[in-house]
Amino acid sequence: MKKVLLAMALLVVMTLAFTACTGNEDTPADTAANNQNQADTSTDISGEITIVNNKIEIDAALRDFARLYEDRFGVRVNVHSFGGETPYAPALAAMFSGGDEPEIFVMEGMTDFISARDSGRVFDLTGQPWVNDTSMEFVYDGRVYGFPVALEGWGLGYNVDILNRAGIDTSTLTNVNAIREAFETIDAMRDELGLTAVVSMAAGPGMTWVTGLHAFNAYLSLGLDYNDTTIIDMLLAGQVDEQRLMYFAEYYNMIFQFSNPSTLIVGGYDQQLGDFGTGQTAFIHQGNWIDPTFAEWGVDFEMGYVPHAFLPQDTPGIFVGAPSWYVVNARANNIDAALHFLNFMASSPEGHEYMVVHSGAVPAFYSVTHIPAGQFSQAVNEWSGRGQVYAWHQNDMPAGFGMNTLGPIFELMAAGSIDPAEFVRLVTEAVATIAP
Amino acid sequence: MKHKSGKHSPIFYAFLFPALFSFAFVIVIPFFLGIYYSFTDWTAMTGTNVNWVGFANYTAVFNDVTFLHSFLVTVAFAVINIVVVNVVAFGFALLVTSKLKLKNMYRAAFFMPNLIGGIILGYIWQFIFNNAITAFGASIGSEFLATSLLANRFWALLAIVVVVTWQNAGYIMMIYVAAIQSAPAALLEAAHIDGANYWQRLRHILVPLVAPAFTVSLFLTLVRSFQQFDVNMALTAGGPSGMFMDRALPTTEFLALNIFNTAFAFRELAQGQAKSVIFFITLTVIALVQVYFNKRKEIEM
Repeated sequence: MKKVLLAMALLVVMTLAFTACTGNEDTPADTAANNQNQADTSTDISGEITIVNNKIEIDAALRDFARLYEDRFGVRVNVHSFGGETPYAPALAAMFSGGDEPEIFVMEGMTDFISARDSGRVFDLTGQPWVNDTSMEFVYDGRVYGFPVALEGWGLGYNVDILNRAGIDTSTLTNVNAIREAFETIDAMRDELGLTAVVSMAAGPGMTWVTGLHAFNAYLSLGLDYNDTTIIDMLLAGQVDEQRLMYFAEYYNMIFQFSNPSTLIVGGYDQQLGDFGTGQTAFIHQGNWIDPTFAEWGVDFEMGYVPHAFLPQDTPGIFVGAPSWYVVNARANNIDAALHFLNFMASSPEGHEYMVVHSGAVPAFYSVTHIPAGQFSQAVNEWSGRGQVYAWHQNDMPAGFGMNTLGPIFELMAAGSIDPAEFVRLVTEAVATIAP
Repeated sequence: MKHKSGKHSPIFYAFLFPALFSFAFVIVIPFFLGIYYSFTDWTAMTGTNVNWVGFANYTAVFNDVTFLHSFLVTVAFAVINIVVVNVVAFGFALLVTSKLKLKNMYRAAFFMPNLIGGIILGYIWQFIFNNAITAFGASIGSEFLATSLLANRFWALLAIVVVVTWQNAGYIMMIYVAAIQSAPAALLEAAHIDGANYWQRLRHILVPLVAPAFTVSLFLTLVRSFQQFDVNMALTAGGPSGMFMDRALPTTEFLALNIFNTAFAFRELAQGQAKSVIFFITLTVIALVQVYFNKRKEIEM
């Protein structure tokens, strides 16, 4: 009998131990009911909040800021950072299925938003004090749902010294003919300038985020008004603007032809950055997120951006947008503290310092006066300060479409297997499969 | 053996519980849950409703050109890989069971790559193929070697075979070594005295004797070839691109990588699940057929 009792006890303990781990009950909250957010959220905040971050690079800076916030307001801020070896999206999904409901998490665009909204996790941020201080908040159906984490941007990055020596006035590089001429001039002077190629570009299997997303965004938004969604709307309906796409294909075919073939086909990110950072190329097709790597490598020559102007008419502007937004999780427990934390980040000098000085970002808020340290970040800041910006629509394409469907088509053109006309045909066919 | 009647004491079940519990929760339940999800529009987000969609995911999979391509390229890889790994492994096994000096050192050296993770191996070999071999090719003026082998769809597939062989041959070798060492020496000696040469002894005595090891090794390499993921992902990431049925797609994307991309790049989790179910059924059938035919070749002592 003793044995039976012991066995029963063991079973009970084991079962309890297991259920205890998963016992975190969901607390569904009705997002629609939360429309009347108080601007003043400083009342009664306590407890702790959890923030899930998708940029492992800013983990330390964010932790420092979280500690500062805890010291000031007594609310503990737990920081979970994913990225690099641990892909963010599956890690976040795993947290949710494990019953964890972090107060703040990051979404990267419409696909993320839809899935967060459908699972009842987006808290309506309309009317929060910081909304008037930015133009990059995430808006859906007239309501605000996302706090812009930073601004990022890219154009055709160039080495100021090399272009000066080649006698090229970068302010004229705003249409495809001027860019082609500049490429040809520099190509003719390659030996004199010590270059191995004109452009540093990588289009191989691991680089489809550059081709399928960033490059393709030029087709979606170059020359259009910031809120003009004509081309992306057409794409989502399975249609392309054939003439525009042809110009686009010819421009990228030109970029590929002026690139170092080995970096282009099999080179990775490091090789692409290395070619430009060591002065072997005059241009690079990358965004301002490469600043920290160059800082680490001690690359300090002057750099700037010109537009990816693939059209014959002038299109003076680079692609600037918010790569991600903080979402306040409507199913989390401590929403008030989360709102307060975001307000503090957007409106306090400490928050501004964190965003620009410590995490090195281009600020998404007008009231921030700090200037980022990186040269490409400064260039993004200047273009966006002049209002010469085109939108980001690449993340509004269906998940996987840019990187996994368009990426291989870019790679084929880079390898010289297809010409621009064939590129247009394949992209047109791929886009047609999107139609609902 | 007191409990032959089948009546075990409760304490027996208490000890069984942890193993049974984890087996159920880690293997059995997810397996059936997975089959169920393949018939729904599951997105893995908790809080979203899961709706029954019948065979919609399976229809989508059968219309998916990339899946068909992955299937064919995986079969091609498996065939080449099974042959190469087993030939190399058996060769190694003969080598390290012969009267070679330092044979124990060779044994350890051949086994060593198996201890390195596939992702790391993939990146190391990627560097070798993209940088080391091309630099060597350029220095000897060979245009063929100066361009990376990974940029060509045919050579990229063989490159994966090379790396996977390098990783797995040592492990399979150990199975053959064990079998060769337990083969009765008397038979080989008798054949030797009867005048059989080395090849005759190998072909007619040793190979039939180690047939069970072939069954195991072929099974292991077959299953591993089909399940290949990490080296594939790190070495080629599916590249280079190529055309298949008028579609541009990654030409070395094996089934496991295709399923991974369906689930996590295209975020079609339910469709990825459907692909996994098809993958499971196919692999089970192929593996059972292989074991059945191999078993018939084994001899009773």
